[in-house]
Amino acid sequence: MMQGNLYSMRETFGKLLAELGETEKDLIVITADVGDSTRAMYFREKFKDRYFNVGISEQDMVNFAAGLAAVGKKPAIVNFAMFLMRAWEQIRNSVARMNLDVKMFVTHAGYSDHGDGSSHQALEDIALMRVLPNMKVIVPADPKDIERSLPVIIKERGPIYYRMGRDYSPPITVGQEYDFKIGKAYVIKEGSDLVIMGAGVVLWDALKAAEELEKMGISTAVINLFSIKPIDEDTIEYYARKTGRVITIEEHSIYGGIGSAVAEVLVKRYPVPMRFIGATTFGRSARSQRDLLDYYNINYKSIIREAIDLVK
Amino acid sequence: MEKGGSDGAPISIEELNKLRRVAERARKNVIKMLFYDQSIHVGSSLSSIEILTTLIFRYIRNHSNLVDKDWLILSKGHAAPALYAVLAEKGYINEDELWRIQDISGLLQGHPEIFIPGVDMSTGSLGQGLSFGIGVATGIKMSGGSGRVYVIMGDGEQDEGEVWEAMTHAVVRNLDNLIAFIEMNNFQLDGPTDEIKPKNFLPKVWEAVGWKVLNCDGHDFISISNAIDEALKAGKPAVIFANTIRGKGFPAIENTKKQRSSPDDARKSLLDA
Repeated sequence: MMQGNLYSMRETFGKLLAELGETEKDLIVITADVGDSTRAMYFREKFKDRYFNVGISEQDMVNFAAGLAAVGKKPAIVNFAMFLMRAWEQIRNSVARMNLDVKMFVTHAGYSDHGDGSSHQALEDIALMRVLPNMKVIVPADPKDIERSLPVIIKERGPIYYRMGRDYSPPITVGQEYDFKIGKAYVIKEGSDLVIMGAGVVLWDALKAAEELEKMGISTAVINLFSIKPIDEDTIEYYARKTGRVITIEEHSIYGGIGSAVAEVLVKRYPVPMRFIGATTFGRSARSQRDLLDYYNINYKSIIREAIDLVK
Repeated sequence: MEKGGSDGAPISIEELNKLRRVAERARKNVIKMLFYDQSIHVGSSLSSIEILTTLIFRYIRNHSNLVDKDWLILSKGHAAPALYAVLAEKGYINEDELWRIQDISGLLQGHPEIFIPGVDMSTGSLGQGLSFGIGVATGIKMSGGSGRVYVIMGDGEQDEGEVWEAMTHAVVRNLDNLIAFIEMNNFQLDGPTDEIKPKNFLPKVWEAVGWKVLNCDGHDFISISNAIDEALKAGKPAVIFANTIRGKGFPAIENTKKQRSSPDDARKSLLDA
């Protein structure tokens, strides 16, 4: 499994954000004392005047960003996913309600803060953000996806929740040819018997499962639901019709998350049998993110099991 | 740029009389709103009338440029009826709209929303206004603008943790264009602040953190203006503790925890006045 700085989500993000600061002159980066861990520090090193550490004050951070947006600046919050949730009400009542141009870039989502345990593992954030009017929710699969999307996200107006892990980032979309567009899903593997839909690093498991399933004669498509909200209803419906079976996988609670979003689409447009793979409880500490994904059965083995059950 | 009219200039008798007339009409209109909707927060609104009148009629400068205009943030958003009544006096809101407050087809929401003319921040959830004000004031300074930011909070609102976060943040940013009001009307929703969480230590805390701390009588235009003039000269974030009376001028609820009263009480009060 590729790990370390070269293929790290936060490293890729932090370096690219600092690069984008060159052309995006109004961009302001704000964090709540996690500039080093999120790699917002690269921005700080280059643009000291446009970087604010508000201290360990997430609620203040959100409304500070909202105020900056209100006078036409382009604030980007960079923080741990979990601790931004502490300010969910501020995000709801100030940022989303006034539809302000505040970007929220979160790292350490899912199980990626493996060692710190359940207090630090955000498995509910997609559900919490998805429910907010005006809010867009974006989940890149790997560093390549971050490179594709970050310049687009920075330019887009309005509140966006952009969710990343920490370092673990197996190559998923390297070599794939597509440009990121908000509201668009991407087919990263074609197939006709079954479709796996998901977002984030667990798409590595989706691809691995699809590979194994092909060997068993089950033709499996894999969809990268990069944009969770707005969601690509047409692509979801198309592949449900084409394959008749849907498995969703997410490094997030299955309640209210990506699987739920897909189910909401299919229930109204083309219901098919579905299986949901994701978290159902709090996490725990582990030596690696991979250990946690395996421990909680959010992996290719589960996909294969569910797929065989669906197809038979 | 439109001058606020003041910045140290003493209030003339004419101006004082004008402010009094405005505040008196706004006060009556807030009480009159009870004829149309009995669920508005009258008590908290009546304690804010003079502060809002002073700010809107004497200090707030309008400007098309976001960083050259002055910002008014009613963090204690439940005093929205007072804000609307004063904005109506200023001509931002049609007076007829006041009688449709909280009506499904009306413009005026139970708490301020930015789609209402004269409202700079959607509020209603306590503790958020000061942080937003810091963002605005910082943005103004980054752009070299001349705008100032006024944030009005309640004493009960000081219970919120975000106020602490913001209080300690503002001094770090050296925001000499940020002025906060804390209205000390001594009541919060469930009762007297003394019985819930005492607030008498607050001025010392704000001062210790690094704010310029001022006091005023929140129902006296001269006292309020003097405090604002001092605050504008402070060279750092300033907070004005304003002593106010909840339900001021409305005997049915004055100086009690009550937010509301009946249309009959409102009628009686308006006839007696």
